[in-house]
Amino acid sequence: MARRTPGDRIRPLVRHLLHAAATVSRKSIAVVAFLVLWEIAPRVGLVDSTFLVPFSTAVHALWDLARSGQLWDDTRVSLTRSVIGFGIAVGIGVPLGLVIGWYRTVADILNPLLELFRNTAALALLPVFILILGIGETSKISIVVYACTFPILLNTITAVRGVDPTLVKAARSLGLSTPRLFRQVVLPSSVPTILTGIRMAAASSILVLIAAEMVGAKDGLGYLINAAQQNFEIEQMYAGIIAISLIGTIVNALLVRLERRLTRWRPASR
Amino acid sequence: MTTPKLSIERVGKVFEGRSSRVAALDEVTLDVAAGQFLVVVGPSGCGKSTLLDLLAGLTTPTSGRLLVDGAPITGPGLDRGVVFQQYALLPWRTALRNVEFGLEGKGLTRRARTDTARQYLDLVGLSGFADRYPHELSGGMRQRVAIARALAFDPDVLLMDEPFAALDAQTRETLQDELLRIWETTRKTVVFITHGIDEAVYLGQRVAVLTSRPGRIKAVVDIDLGDRRQTEDVRSTPLFAEYRHQIWSELHGEVARAQRSELSAREVVSVG
Repeated sequence: MARRTPGDRIRPLVRHLLHAAATVSRKSIAVVAFLVLWEIAPRVGLVDSTFLVPFSTAVHALWDLARSGQLWDDTRVSLTRSVIGFGIAVGIGVPLGLVIGWYRTVADILNPLLELFRNTAALALLPVFILILGIGETSKISIVVYACTFPILLNTITAVRGVDPTLVKAARSLGLSTPRLFRQVVLPSSVPTILTGIRMAAASSILVLIAAEMVGAKDGLGYLINAAQQNFEIEQMYAGIIAISLIGTIVNALLVRLERRLTRWRPASR
Repeated sequence: MTTPKLSIERVGKVFEGRSSRVAALDEVTLDVAAGQFLVVVGPSGCGKSTLLDLLAGLTTPTSGRLLVDGAPITGPGLDRGVVFQQYALLPWRTALRNVEFGLEGKGLTRRARTDTARQYLDLVGLSGFADRYPHELSGGMRQRVAIARALAFDPDVLLMDEPFAALDAQTRETLQDELLRIWETTRKTVVFITHGIDEAVYLGQRVAVLTSRPGRIKAVVDIDLGDRRQTEDVRSTPLFAEYRHQIWSELHGEVARAQRSELSAREVVSVG
């Protein structure tokens, strides 16, 4: 009974692997089922395969687009636009949010206007942007800026309002000047909430950009999808959609990792 | 006669709300000698914490004046260290970096800061926990870090606002002893706010009893328990009980008065 067999050492490893496999399969089962359904439905004639090509055909088209370099070109154009717009939005939203969150008077003056802007859907303004800024890069980047600023701004305001007053009091008692108070207390304690806003902004940056590219553009992933549809290259249309969904998922995953990295100090239960 | 370390001269503080006017302190006069351990005890809502905020320079008096070494207090300063009830540690900084926080305004090199911070973590008995984040520490340990932070920049005065109120009884007693030990080694002037009579008698050389709102000094009791550590369980000696009863009698009427005024204030609210 006390004799240890090699099996005693291997068993925990096996159990661990089985556990990991169970987790992976539990988390991927819904996605796999969806893809299988997508593959089978057009093939057995459940839907018209002219309009919904099987998943494997779309992946094949994506591969062809990637090999020809066209996918990369359009992706690069789209990502450049959204990254620039997103970056400008962070540059506007975070500092403005810090000021509005901290100074009551500024908040009282600006809040009604912000509320009005926030509730005006970015895409409703797209024609205005195009009219004034043309169909070039400026109008597309501007609409991304507009759409991204609000989640960042509003989350920053909430974050600053939520800073623990005893921390501020303690910092003041240590003689911190207002700039140091912002840098060393207000900003760090706002980081988690601001990052949530940044993640929301990243999602909407891709969303409005694709829409903007569908309306007036000569390149970009939105253009790719729209042009493919109009030229009846249905496989390519789905390939573009898959590309966007992959990019969105990857960007979000990266931001979640960044969030974890920057908020390691928080209790694990949060 | 030497200048007292802290002078509170006829200090009054009134908070003006939109529709209300609350007098928190009225004509408070008190001197604290250098190296003295003063405890301020009073019913809840009597303006104890307001008094501490005034001494810390976090707020200004409506009337009267406060002096440190004979010079008026104009704002917060590193000559006074504050310890709050809620610890007020920066959750994104480790224990060591929290202690360093107060040193950052002192123009020390990074190395000197770290060395000093380690030295004070040693003093409060947390040498092994330098790299822990606040959420990884118990309440008692967090308050030790906060005490180390307040001591690290070597202030003359330590201001403590009900620092042990949120701790369990056992931890509180341990920290009270630790605080006395630290006080004896560092010889700081301490102003300690509490609503606990036992705590006041155990810690204080002098205990100032505050009335309920607006806070006034009702009595100042000098405590002499001899060497607390020579007597085993000093809290159960007749002398301790005597002091305890004396302060209890001073406070008793005040607590009842505070509760009555709180109740009537609630009635006004519920009727209005």
